[in-house]
Amino acid sequence: MTARGTVFRETMLGRVRLAGDDSDRPVRLDLLARADSLMPTRRTTRARLTGRIRIAGRADDPEAEGELEISPLARRRIRYRLGFRLEGRRLLLDGWKSLSLKRPVSSMTVLPYTLYEDGERVGEGVLRFPLATGLLPFLAGFRFPRAAEAERSLAPRWDGTPGRTEVWYTTLTDPATGSGVWLHHEVVAPRDGGPAYAHGWVAVFPPGGPAEHARFGPTPWTGDPRGFSAGGISAAPGRLRGSAGPFAWALTEEPQGPPLHTFPRWSWRHPWLPASHMLPAARARYRGTVRHGTRELRLRDAPGASARIYGHGNARRWAWLHADLGGGDVLEVVAAVSMRRGLDRLPPLVFLRLYRNGRGWPRRAERSAVGWAGIGRFRADIGLPRWRVEGRAGLRRVRVTVTLPPDGTLALDYTDPDGSAAVCRNSGRADAEVSLERWRGRWRPEAAWRLTGTAHAEVGDR
Amino acid sequence: MNTAPRALTGLVAAVLADDGTAPWTEAVPRRVTALLDVMPAPARAAVRGAAAAIDAYAVARTGRRLTALGARERERVLASLAARRTLLPLLDAVKMPLLLAAGTERMLHRGPAPSASAPEDPPLDCTPARDWPTRSTADAVVVGSGAGGATAARTLAAAGLRVVVLEEGEHHSTASFGRRAPLDRFADLYRDGGATIAVGNPPLVLPVGRAVGGTTVVNSGTCYRTPDHVVARWLNRHGFAAAEGFGTRLDEVERALRVAPQPLDVLGGNGLLALAGARELGWAAAPLRRNAPGCRGSCQCVVGCPAGAKQSVQLSVLPDACAAGARIVTGAWVRRILTDRDGPGGPRAAGVLVRRPDGSELEILSPLVVVAAGTLHTPPLLRRSGLGGHPRLGRNLSVHPALSVAGRFGHPVTGRRNVLQSVGVEQLRADGILIEATAAPPGMSSFVLPGVGRELRRELEETERLATLGAMIADRPSGRVLGRARPLPRYDLAPRDAGRLLRAQRAMGRLLFAAGAEEVLTGVPHAPRARTPAELETLLATVNARHLHVSAFHPTGTAAAGADPERSPADPEGRLRGVGGVLIADGSVLPSCPEVNPQLSIMAAALAIAGRYVSRGR
Repeated sequence: MTARGTVFRETMLGRVRLAGDDSDRPVRLDLLARADSLMPTRRTTRARLTGRIRIAGRADDPEAEGELEISPLARRRIRYRLGFRLEGRRLLLDGWKSLSLKRPVSSMTVLPYTLYEDGERVGEGVLRFPLATGLLPFLAGFRFPRAAEAERSLAPRWDGTPGRTEVWYTTLTDPATGSGVWLHHEVVAPRDGGPAYAHGWVAVFPPGGPAEHARFGPTPWTGDPRGFSAGGISAAPGRLRGSAGPFAWALTEEPQGPPLHTFPRWSWRHPWLPASHMLPAARARYRGTVRHGTRELRLRDAPGASARIYGHGNARRWAWLHADLGGGDVLEVVAAVSMRRGLDRLPPLVFLRLYRNGRGWPRRAERSAVGWAGIGRFRADIGLPRWRVEGRAGLRRVRVTVTLPPDGTLALDYTDPDGSAAVCRNSGRADAEVSLERWRGRWRPEAAWRLTGTAHAEVGDR
Repeated sequence: MNTAPRALTGLVAAVLADDGTAPWTEAVPRRVTALLDVMPAPARAAVRGAAAAIDAYAVARTGRRLTALGARERERVLASLAARRTLLPLLDAVKMPLLLAAGTERMLHRGPAPSASAPEDPPLDCTPARDWPTRSTADAVVVGSGAGGATAARTLAAAGLRVVVLEEGEHHSTASFGRRAPLDRFADLYRDGGATIAVGNPPLVLPVGRAVGGTTVVNSGTCYRTPDHVVARWLNRHGFAAAEGFGTRLDEVERALRVAPQPLDVLGGNGLLALAGARELGWAAAPLRRNAPGCRGSCQCVVGCPAGAKQSVQLSVLPDACAAGARIVTGAWVRRILTDRDGPGGPRAAGVLVRRPDGSELEILSPLVVVAAGTLHTPPLLRRSGLGGHPRLGRNLSVHPALSVAGRFGHPVTGRRNVLQSVGVEQLRADGILIEATAAPPGMSSFVLPGVGRELRRELEETERLATLGAMIADRPSGRVLGRARPLPRYDLAPRDAGRLLRAQRAMGRLLFAAGAEEVLTGVPHAPRARTPAELETLLATVNARHLHVSAFHPTGTAAAGADPERSPADPEGRLRGVGGVLIADGSVLPSCPEVNPQLSIMAAALAIAGRYVSRGR
């Protein structure tokens, strides 16, 4: 079953008496609450709060953040905890509605609260939900997106079956220095039934210099319900940390878009294909530090993405591209020749997803790979240092050229679950050219992007 | 001050034989009215109803109301009523508030003006509930600031928890005690104006305090250690594990309260006579151990010590708790303990819902709620919180049934200085009878002077010559506390305990005669006085327990701790069964009657329960 989240907006008006003030001040609170599940029934649900708080003459913080505890039946309480800034001070608003069957309306709409600064009380007040003007927008504003999918898709897929491999990998570009960063976390369950092991690597691709990297593992895989965790290295929702050789990293990840399935969505849920690839969030922003030796990258809103692979092993030949096209647009391409007998004689299957203006193209992921029974499928020319993909779907056609700079490419060996070896060449600062055309009597250019050193790409073979 | 209803004014004039010669009688009706106003509605209605009925009887007999009659005619009306033996207990019940008011007025007119010099109290962090925020959080909420609550709060605060103590009453300073008349304080410091009634056979008056400091503000300061055999019974028969090492806990409590034997210098005539009588009989007796160093003998323990000598917990334990960060909210009545029912491991306490005096509500979230609302109020609180499911909750109520006997001496007994409860006569302790010499302020004794009209007036004028003894008995737990919104105590005296009471009455009479009393006042309406020991024996042969005027003090045991899950609402560590995060830390947690004045026992139990909670790592 697909878990859905809940998103709603709430506006409350009221008053506050700050310590040292002789009179109350008007307050307005505009909140956006996101819960990872549908609205609670009998149990307690927590939601993240973001929003804006305005205290007349004293504070206007549009970046208030906090937590909402929604428990109308089990605890009869809806508790708001919201941190915000007031004249440079960090305050916490802590209050709750106490639901009462005797007073259903007032108990659901009145929020008494107290303000704290470092645990000391610095004010109190009451906020009210304006029923007359606020109820309709409040009810109409409820959304139930697949909010939990990003976090759920980071949870390990491997179920103990021998002969599987599972990957969490993250690529990003530091906008300040132009360096690329690549974190690869992998679990391999050998086909012979041997114990699963975790390994991976970290690499930094500084502009104008050779890539540096360090491997970690193999260490026994113990499993972590939230993501990858082995040998002190973890990739969990919103957080990446670890150290390997001269490298040490601690990053926070803030998803910026919806999940993006490069392969058909069903192939992630039902692993019938040799492998499946998806992005828990089409785009993400990273903050934190990556130290390598004596150098340190301090990342602030670095663009990138995390991706997930689950399957039987590496392909015979493959290429991959993640291109953040700016303005919220993303291009994700996988072109691969399968290891399976029969399929290995086919030309590369191309899975291309262009996420543009909030919509995916081609509409179905299968379209670019198989076309109409092979007719009209996208084509790939996999090579080094340059590979290409082109194809047409509907009234649009796309041409993608990716170049892996020789000095910014890192070749690494892999061992598949069946023991065979593969080599992958990765670049965290690849170039990409993308041109999109649309048929209007003839092919006319619709959009074109040129990424210099900000694309993330790889090419692998045997 | 309120104006008194006419029927009540007439009744006061008749009962006190008011002939207009003494100025103090004039203000008594108004004072009675004020006292009735703070009593529970049934008690108020009963007294007013009785006054109206007696007024109607006067109209039927003379054609005029009591107020319109002359002193002599009023006397005749009352005498004809008092001649009916069955009406005597009712008349006694009506006399109690009248005597309370009369005693106060008489003292105000005769005694010295209240002393204004009082020492400064140690600081407390008290906040009225109206100034406490509607939403707040704490690490521990303690419901009740009496002996148990104060001790638990001090222990938890010393362990670094943010503690909030909730008290329904107000904070009264020692200076405020010095400024106000005893009866004014009486109305403020006691629940229901001191008229909490346990219905049953016989009905009992069960006074409990309501203030910061709880009943320790209004108790007599007598500090008995829990007897060893009681501690052994709690440990071995009931499995009350918190009683392990109880001696050490009692030592700590005694240090905190500065307990010491009462020196003889301010003991007063009442105590000295008890000692003399015991010496004559060869009985074991000694000045009581009390928590009142530097006691000046003000004899007002039961309405708050005006000298600040008695180390009630608001002067001894709560200041330490506040110094460790605890905060006290006054005027805060806990409506409900909030519970989170969806957590792992079953329901857990989440905080409390509190009603302010103006009717508004506030909430405090806290993972630990220590219930120390008192033996009578803890069961209703748990019931209205949905935590009263244990079948034994509210049962197992012990109350120390007590009665008083007075002896008239040929010389004044009570002088300027008296310790209210001064001497313990321990001769009959093995039989569950503890006699204590008790001289309360006028009218506040549980002893009811005999007679009405001129006879009563004569007794009133001669109260200085009366020595009073009280006896309390270790009872069977034959009571229970019903009710949700408010407690409804019910108590039926066990036959064994009725026998003990009669025996105690005899013993007290003997003691008074041995001390040289000319006459012993039994407190029994139809057999009020005896002039010789032999006459007393003859009189008491006609008396059974239903004739006695029984009071009760020291309620315990209504949420008893113990190892048997079916018999004990609280587990051996004092944790309420069936919910996480609720500790019981007042008299209700004691598994059985402590057989002595229970303040030290309650405090040591609270200390053990809170201490073990802290040392378990919460």
